[in-house]
Amino acid sequence: MVMGRLLILSVLFMFNSFAAGATPIVELEIKDHLFYPAELVIPIDTKVKVKISNNDPTAEEFESYELNREKMIPGNSQAIIFIGPLKAGVYPFFGEFFPKTAQGKVVVK
Amino acid sequence: MLLNSVIFILREVLEASLIISVLLALSQNQGLSKGWLKPAVLLGLTLAGVYASQLINISAYFEGVGQEVINAGLHILIYGFILLIIVLLKYPSTKQSVIFFMTGCVIAASIREGSEVIIYLTGFMSAPDLFPSVVMGSIIGSGIGISIGVLFYYLIAYVRFELGMLLGLGLLVLIGGGMVSQTIQLLTQADFISSQSALWDSSFIVDERSLFGQLLYALIGYESTPSFVQVVCYVVSVLLAAFSTLSTFTSLRVRENA
Repeated sequence: MVMGRLLILSVLFMFNSFAAGATPIVELEIKDHLFYPAELVIPIDTKVKVKISNNDPTAEEFESYELNREKMIPGNSQAIIFIGPLKAGVYPFFGEFFPKTAQGKVVVK
Repeated sequence: MLLNSVIFILREVLEASLIISVLLALSQNQGLSKGWLKPAVLLGLTLAGVYASQLINISAYFEGVGQEVINAGLHILIYGFILLIIVLLKYPSTKQSVIFFMTGCVIAASIREGSEVIIYLTGFMSAPDLFPSVVMGSIIGSGIGISIGVLFYYLIAYVRFELGMLLGLGLLVLIGGGMVSQTIQLLTQADFISSQSALWDSSFIVDERSLFGQLLYALIGYESTPSFVQVVCYVVSVLLAAFSTLSTFTSLRVRENA
């Protein structure tokens, strides 16, 4: 019974996103194994579409444990990742293939 | 660069290696042929190559989230196959079907993990100064990942029949739960499911970044900050597979003791 209710609730949550309005877009570039800008500022409680352009010939994997996001981006290609709605705070991300240099953060305020 | 490569490749290889070793050990435990493994890995890696070479086009599908959709599909397929393997093991007449779904599981896992390794390695071909250390790191990472898989294989295949079966099926249930959890995460990333704040944060107990965290991720789908939907789907899928396992285990034990 409880499991059934939880299931219905989660299905409702699942399809909630289809009713959402226009999603703001922010752009992120990977160049020379660095993120530009290294700090993405987004508003609180807002879903954002992040367009990432990997302008390096090498592939990169966008990774963030704090945002629960992970996406492979081949060299010289683009990718889209949805993030948020998020609470105020700082959410670091990095490029898994070049973690020493490819570092950035999403600042939600 | 060497250490980065070791960590990245280990993560990818470990996930596939655990699925393969548990299925192979269950084949041994159930007296099934193990000849399915080689063609399954070869076909899986070939398809992984095709997937990797087409990744830019695939990523553009579904308004830029094609990669998430395909990967989510592969994960849910693995869960479906795992469930079918557990259910079909109960019947002596369905051995061929069990082998068929084990093959399917390994093909899907090889495509998922193999494609990431191929993209990683081919990407570094354009950086000749880094390539040797990437290859060396990949060999070490694969070695560790495969060794852990081998360890699990012997743990399941060469213990008492009942214990081996319980261990093997139990691990399959948890790996299956992890597959469903990853499916939810990918569909959330693609915005097919609404993003929610984490239900809890257990990173102070086990950090996902640690080796133990990675092992738990591959074994039981450990996630330090899961969402509500992720937890519900994980619990439901694990319970479903666990009930099927209980039923299969009981009838196999009765048959073995008869």
